[in-house]
Amino acid sequence: MLGYIVRRLLAALLVVIITSMAVFALFYKAIPNPAGPVCAAQGRCTADRLALIEESMGLNEPITTQYGKFVKGVFVGRDVPFGSSTYECDAPCFGISYGTRQPVTDQLVKAYPATLTLALGGATIYLTFGVTLGVLAARARGTIWDRGLVGFSLVISSIPYYLFALLAWIFLTLRTNIFPDTEYQPITQGVLPWIGAMLLPWLVLGIAQSTQYARFSRGEMLETLGEDYIRSASAKGVPRNKVIFKHALRAAIVPVVTIFGLDFAALLAGTVFTEKIFGIDGVGLLALDSVIETPMDLPVINATVMLAAAMVVLANLVVDILYGYLDPRVRIG
Amino acid sequence: MSQPPIATETLGSFSEDPAPGDAPTSKKKNGNVAKSPTQIALTRLRKDRVALVCGTIVLLLVVLGVFAPLITHLLDIHEKQEPGLPGLTELLEYDGFPAIGPPYYPFTWEHPLGIAPQTGYDNLARLLYGVRTSLLVSTLATVLSTLIGVTIGLMAGFARGWPDRILSFIIDLFLSFPFLLGALCLAPIITSRFSADVDKLGRAQLLALVGVLVVFGWMSLARLVRGQVLSLREREFIQSALVIGVPTRRILFKELLPNLVAPIVVAVSLMLPAYVAAEAGLSFLGIGLTGIPSLGQTINVAYGYFDAYSLYLWAPVIVVMVLVVALNLLGDSIRDAFDPKTRR
Repeated sequence: MLGYIVRRLLAALLVVIITSMAVFALFYKAIPNPAGPVCAAQGRCTADRLALIEESMGLNEPITTQYGKFVKGVFVGRDVPFGSSTYECDAPCFGISYGTRQPVTDQLVKAYPATLTLALGGATIYLTFGVTLGVLAARARGTIWDRGLVGFSLVISSIPYYLFALLAWIFLTLRTNIFPDTEYQPITQGVLPWIGAMLLPWLVLGIAQSTQYARFSRGEMLETLGEDYIRSASAKGVPRNKVIFKHALRAAIVPVVTIFGLDFAALLAGTVFTEKIFGIDGVGLLALDSVIETPMDLPVINATVMLAAAMVVLANLVVDILYGYLDPRVRIG
Repeated sequence: MSQPPIATETLGSFSEDPAPGDAPTSKKKNGNVAKSPTQIALTRLRKDRVALVCGTIVLLLVVLGVFAPLITHLLDIHEKQEPGLPGLTELLEYDGFPAIGPPYYPFTWEHPLGIAPQTGYDNLARLLYGVRTSLLVSTLATVLSTLIGVTIGLMAGFARGWPDRILSFIIDLFLSFPFLLGALCLAPIITSRFSADVDKLGRAQLLALVGVLVVFGWMSLARLVRGQVLSLREREFIQSALVIGVPTRRILFKELLPNLVAPIVVAVSLMLPAYVAAEAGLSFLGIGLTGIPSLGQTINVAYGYFDAYSLYLWAPVIVVMVLVVALNLLGDSIRDAFDPKTRR
C-alpha cells in the first residue's frame, strides 16, 4: 500500500513537472515578442526600450535558465526585475502580474475563496441531488417516474451549460429579481449575504451537473441490483429499502465517487463559465481576463494553468487511493 | 452500461467509454436472416421517432449552413459591410440602435431578423454564416480527432508493452489537463502569431480553434479503442491471422478496424455536439472566433441587449440550443441503436 502511494506520488510529480515545463515553454516561447505589449503599455516603445525590457524580463536568456529561475522563485522566492523597477516576490512566487504589478500568488490567493465556495456548494448539490434521484429512479425502474427522469435529464444535459446558466441569470435575476444581483461576498461579511449571492450559481451548477450524476448512478444502481447478493438479501426477507440503501448503494457509489473526484478537480481548476456569467471574481475569471486583456498577462495564465493541472493530478491520485478503501475488492499494491 | 457524467465546466467529455468488449461483441442476431450489426442498428434507428425528428432538424440546419451564401444572396442580405450597401449612418440611429426593423420599427424583408446594434450587421446573415462556421469547425475537429484517436488507440492496444505504456501515459497526460484552461491559453497564442495579417486572422483563428478542440478531444476515443483492441487481439481470428503471418497493417485495418465500427460511430456521434457546444462556448468567452461570424460570439455581444433588443440575443441562443440538443439526442439514439442495453 505504502509502496503504491509512493509510486503514484512520484508519477504524479512527474506529470506536474512535465506539464509545468510544457506550459512554461508554450507561454514564453510560442508567443512572438512577449515584451512588445508590455513596452507599448508604458508609452512610446523605442527599439532601445524594447531591448531594455527584454533584458530585464530575462527574455534573452535561454529558456532553461528562465525556467530554472521560475522554479527557484516557486520554492524560495526571488526578486523580479520588471521594466525600470524590481519587485520583491516571496515564495511561492509565480511571477509578477504584467497588468497589476502584484505578485501572481497574491492574486490567486485573493481569487481562490470564490472559486472554492462555488465548487464546494455546487458539488454538494449535484452529488446529493443527483445520486438521490438516480437511486430513486433505479428503485422505481420502468415506471413513468423513472422514464420521465431519464428523458428530462437527457434533455437538460443536452443543453450547453453556458446557455443554461445564461438563461437562469437572465430570467431569475435580471428579469424577475428572484435571486439578488450581487457580487461574491466573503463569508466573513456574514453568512446570509454569502449564501444569498452564491445561491443561484450553486443551484445552476448543481442542477446542470446533477442530471448526469442521476443517470450515471441510476445505471450503476441497476447493475448492482442485478447482482446475486442482492437477490440473496431480498430472498432472506430484508426490507426493500434496506436492500437498496444499505446493500446496493454501498457498491454502486464507488464509480460515482471516482467520477466525482475528477469533476471536482476540474471545478477547482476554475469555473470559467459560471464565474463569467454570474460575475464572480474567481480563478477562472482571473485566467479569462488575463488572456483577453492586452497585453496578455503571461505570469497569471501560466500560474492558473499550472495550478489547474496540479489539481487534476492530485485528484486522480486521491481517487485512486480512495478506491482501495471504498471497494474492498480492489487490491492496490 | 450507463453513461458517465460529463463535466459541465469542461464543456463535456468528447466521447463515451463503454466497458471493454461491450458494443461489438454483444450484438445478437435478429431472427434467422444474417444481418451485420450496423444493419441491425440502422433498422432500429429508423424506427426511433426521436432520432427521426432530431435527424430532420440537424439536416435542415446543415442545409442552411451549407447553402448560407446562396440563401443570403437570394434574400439580398449581407454578413458584413460592403461598399455599395447602405452605410452605418443610414442603418443606425445616433445611439447605435437600428434605424430599421426591430426592436423599435416594424418588420422588414430587407432584414428579416433585424440588424445588429453598433455594427449594423444583418442578423439573419450572421446567423446563417454562424451555423456554417459552427458546423465546419465541429466537423473538421471530429474528423481529425477520430483519425488521431483511432490511430493511437490501435497502436497502443495492438503493440502492448512499452509503446503501450508510453502512449497511455501521453493519453493520461492530456486527459489531466482541463480543456477550458488549455483552450484559454492555446487559442490566443496561435492567434497572436497571425495577428499581423488581418486577412489571414479569420482563417488562422478557425484552424487554431479546430486545433485546440482536437488537441483536447482525441484522448477519450484513443482510450476507448485501445481498450477494445486489448480484448479483441486475444480472440481467435486475430491470433490465427498473426500465426499465418498477415502483415500488421492488414490486421489493424482489415481485421481489427471493422470490429470497432460500432463504438467509433457512437463516440463520433456524441463528439459532434460536444464540439459544436465547445466552439460556441469558446467564442462566447471571447477566446474563440472573432474574425468570422460565429454564434457564440454573437451571444457574447448580444447578452448586454437582452432587455433592450431581445431578438438579437434569442436568435443565436435558440439556434445553438436547438443544434446541440438535436445532435445530442440523435447521438443518444444512435448509441441506443448500436447498444440497446444502455437505457433499460
